Amino acid sequence: MSIRTLSPYFFILPAVAIMFAGLVYPVLQAFYLSLFDWKIGTKFNDAPYVGVRHFVRMLTDDNVHESIWVTLRFGFWTITIEMFLGVSLALLLEKPIRGASVFRTIFILPLMISPVVVGLIWRYLFDARIGWINYYLGMIGVEPQVWLGDPELAFFAIVFTDIWQWTPFIFIIVIAGLQALPSEILEASKIDGANWWQHILFVKLPMIRSILLIALLLRLIDVFRALEVMYILTGGGPGRATELLSLHIYNRAFETQQLGYASAISVLLILIVFGLSFAILVAGNPMKEKSDI
Amino acid sequence: MNLMNWKNRLAAVTTGAALAMAGPALANPYEKYAGTTLVISWPALAHFNAAEGLLEEFTEETGIEVEVDALQYLKLRDRQLLEMSKDEGEYDIVSWVVMWKGEYVSKGLLTPLSQFFTNGALVDPEFNIDDIADAYLQNGGVVGGQKGYLPGKSGGLYGLPFGAETSILAYRKDIFEEQGLAVPTTYDELTEVMTQLDAAGIPAMTSRGKTGHQVTAGWLLHLAPMGGKIFDDQWNPVINSPEGVKAAEFMRHVVQTGPTGIETFGFGEAAAAFLQGDAALYLDTLKIAAMSRNPNLSTVDGKVGFALHPTDVRCGSETGGFAIGIPANSQNQEAAFLLIQYLTNKAGDQRMVELGGDPIRHSTIQNNAGQFTEYPVVAEQLPCADPDWRPLIPEWNELNIDVLGQALTRVITTNDPIQPIMDEANEKARAIMEREGYYKWAAYRQGN
Repeated sequence: MSIRTLSPYFFILPAVAIMFAGLVYPVLQAFYLSLFDWKIGTKFNDAPYVGVRHFVRMLTDDNVHESIWVTLRFGFWTITIEMFLGVSLALLLEKPIRGASVFRTIFILPLMISPVVVGLIWRYLFDARIGWINYYLGMIGVEPQVWLGDPELAFFAIVFTDIWQWTPFIFIIVIAGLQALPSEILEASKIDGANWWQHILFVKLPMIRSILLIALLLRLIDVFRALEVMYILTGGGPGRATELLSLHIYNRAFETQQLGYASAISVLLILIVFGLSFAILVAGNPMKEKSDI
Repeated sequence: MNLMNWKNRLAAVTTGAALAMAGPALANPYEKYAGTTLVISWPALAHFNAAEGLLEEFTEETGIEVEVDALQYLKLRDRQLLEMSKDEGEYDIVSWVVMWKGEYVSKGLLTPLSQFFTNGALVDPEFNIDDIADAYLQNGGVVGGQKGYLPGKSGGLYGLPFGAETSILAYRKDIFEEQGLAVPTTYDELTEVMTQLDAAGIPAMTSRGKTGHQVTAGWLLHLAPMGGKIFDDQWNPVINSPEGVKAAEFMRHVVQTGPTGIETFGFGEAAAAFLQGDAALYLDTLKIAAMSRNPNLSTVDGKVGFALHPTDVRCGSETGGFAIGIPANSQNQEAAFLLIQYLTNKAGDQRMVELGGDPIRHSTIQNNAGQFTEYPVVAEQLPCADPDWRPLIPEWNELNIDVLGQALTRVITTNDPIQPIMDEANEKARAIMEREGYYKWAAYRQGN
């Protein structure tokens, strides 16, 4: 093999090494930990080796299945609504109308707030006894609701909060994409007689398809990573109604001290995210035209 | 001569000087540790906030510096376990919720206090450990007795109670008077009063109800007086016993007649509902009394009466709250003991009352009975404080959060029949106990 052939690999070696140290090594560690029954406060060397017992247990654990189902339902509703609202808002505010920059700033404010603060804000807003939502609903004669204590309402509350926080993310990415579109093509479509709907559906959206896919991918991964807001808002309850997979892992690891088992579920989480990401990239790789991946 | 004489004289002078210097040092048991900095991990709760004033007085008197790491009380465990499992931890004193003591000791993370109580230079002869309420001492500090967590000859002392508690009933005197209600002394009367308050459009009793530890704590408060237990003497779970189901039915009644949102209430929210006038009754920790007098927390000061925890088949109030002890990996164990002793001796206990905290000593409760209306009630309640209120075994946290905490959420958020829910929880509890080897001896004996 010639130096010419090898040299690209040599140049990407530092990046690969950093990837390995930062990404692959922790995953391998999580896998290693999942083979032991270790509890915080004891020496890891004393932890009994349990082989794949945690993985076997995980596959038959109704709580894990329920948590995955909650996460998938949460992901479906949040991503669908966020994509629709984010794209719609971006299309409405892309034109240089008076005050657009003020609206844009207001829309992206939720994105800038720390997730813990978002959780606290909405926890108090949804509070059954002192929350503003029940207060204003009461003014129009609606009985106070236990938003965070009823399985259905609590699920609605976490979906609503996530949409409030993350729609601006889609908005900001899409508006950046829209503003970078070449004006010649847009003008050409107008000259060809495309109406407003055709202009959006057949010209603009297809042209920002790569950006939409990347936004979708990032949100999908985020859904499986989501922890802080739900932890503050509901803690996964009532029961397990809002216990997303990441929160389930946290509760297993730190509430009930099953670190090995929690690691096994973490490995499952990584596999799910990897599988979904891979599927999306295969379905519509935004880099396809620029590389051979 | 005279070299020898000179040497003897020098020796005498040196010894005399040393004795002269040692004299004052021996008179002050704290002097050896002056300049030491102790780090405490304890909860961010009213009693402990009040104790910070006492810490300042300790530093002033002894020269021993104290730093406090205060966290939300249920977050303490992770942090403490992490620190105490290191070779050299950050903490010299930790305060634990009594339900964690078994786990801490089974992992070898705490120092037995007998090491210090046998040291004459450290122990204040006037400390009088017998003056500390026995239920508090046994529940918070003794590990290894009967069943591993109850009083018994094989038990060892690992901590002293500080911020310990039992349960009493707090009620709104004005509402009771207005509605012509008598203060309930039994669970039947309490149920009736709650129903009447609900019918009058007044939220009856607040309670903890959030999934996990909180809803379980709410249920346990009623289980003990109803004669229920978590395990029988052979470690068989009896969560689904008639008493367990009855306590769950009562819990459902509390939610149906109480303030809106009990399903989401932790300790703070449940107390706030009462303190801000949204509930007529509070049946939980005695800490509510001091909280009701705090104008920053309460709008009902002066309107609250206190009574004994109602009885059913027996009197049985909670044993909970906190104890303080010394991590095995602390580098300043003797100084830490001196501080623990300072906080819990008679003078320290009295100062805690003056600073707005809760006492642990019989003498303090008696001496202040005229000043605080709840103290005579607490003194009468203490003999009923049940040391077996919940099984403080290392597995309790998992049973508490994962099994009971889930089952009881179903009880209070649905109208499903209660018996099957408790049956299912019982089976899950049995599986955990089986996994942890509690039935090995029984199986071994049967095999022989």
